[in-house]
Amino acid sequence: MSPLKAGDKFPDGVKFEWAPITNSDPTACGMPQEYDASKEFKNKRVVLVSVPGAFTPGCQANHLPPYLKDVDKIKSKNVDILAFIASNDCWVMNAWGKVNGVKGDDILFMSDTKTMFSQKYGWAAGMGDRNGRWAMIIEKDGTISYAENEKSMRDVDVSGADAVLSRL
Amino acid sequence: MSAPLKAGDKFPEGVKFEYVPVTDPDPKSCGMPQEYNASQEFKGKKVVLVSVPGAFTPGCQAFHIPPYLEQYNKLAEKGVDLVVVIAFNDSWVMSAWGKVNGTTQDSKVLFMSDTKTKFSEQIGWMAGMGERNGRWAMIIEKDGSITYAETEKSPREVTVSGAEAILAKL
Repeated sequence: MSPLKAGDKFPDGVKFEWAPITNSDPTACGMPQEYDASKEFKNKRVVLVSVPGAFTPGCQANHLPPYLKDVDKIKSKNVDILAFIASNDCWVMNAWGKVNGVKGDDILFMSDTKTMFSQKYGWAAGMGDRNGRWAMIIEKDGTISYAENEKSMRDVDVSGADAVLSRL
Repeated sequence: MSAPLKAGDKFPEGVKFEYVPVTDPDPKSCGMPQEYNASQEFKGKKVVLVSVPGAFTPGCQAFHIPPYLEQYNKLAEKGVDLVVVIAFNDSWVMSAWGKVNGTTQDSKVLFMSDTKTKFSEQIGWMAGMGERNGRWAMIIEKDGSITYAETEKSPREVTVSGAEAILAKL
């Protein structure tokens, strides 16, 4: 299946697995639940960011922190949901969010292993099962207005907060 | 696939894990993974090797690993040189999990990934949940003999693989 591109509609049947962050202690576990993205994203403006792995260099060092810093700016552009996905399980994603100071659902950290969205509709990393590094903007009517993949896993350019903000 | 190891067996050759040594206690800072030749590093040391189905998961996090950290001194008094915790998660996740549990550079409780040689799979002790390691613990003596090797009947329990059970056998 080829990657989604600007102009396509966000597909049906996309589900992630999600352990909501309900407290800030990364040693307390969350309970996983299914997140029906195709349903939850309807009528919302969404920024969806995919990374090759939680807690990894590149990722941790310079992809997530700028989004954390600019979350309010991003939300102020009518974005309803900002979500990060990776191929790690939802407990690891939950902990990654928590150690970065995320307290609630201002940024959702979810596992892509349920329906392998990145592999099917996005891009893979070329490193085993790992998701690629990309970002998509999905508009309220389900149209994808931006879908860009990094040329290299080590770069944070077209999938970074600055690039996405400039397109919102 | 060989059968599970048992008391009386020798710790095998060729067992390697992968880990990111803790150089900075901040779980947001990353390190570079390196190979850990367990078969070699364990020689001449008394080691407790603990396997868990996953980092940051309930059961695991809630009451398996914390007692090992809290009671490390008691383990050391009984001659233990090293405690190694392994799971199927990659070494960055294991390193971060160790750090949020308070391990530092000097810690003798190391957190490592079992993905390099899939030791848990080789000895046949899996969780029955995809690729996840089973929940088990081993005591390996200085001469490489295994004096204790027990796996939980269910991955949700922490009995024979827990710190209390290990302390009772040391």
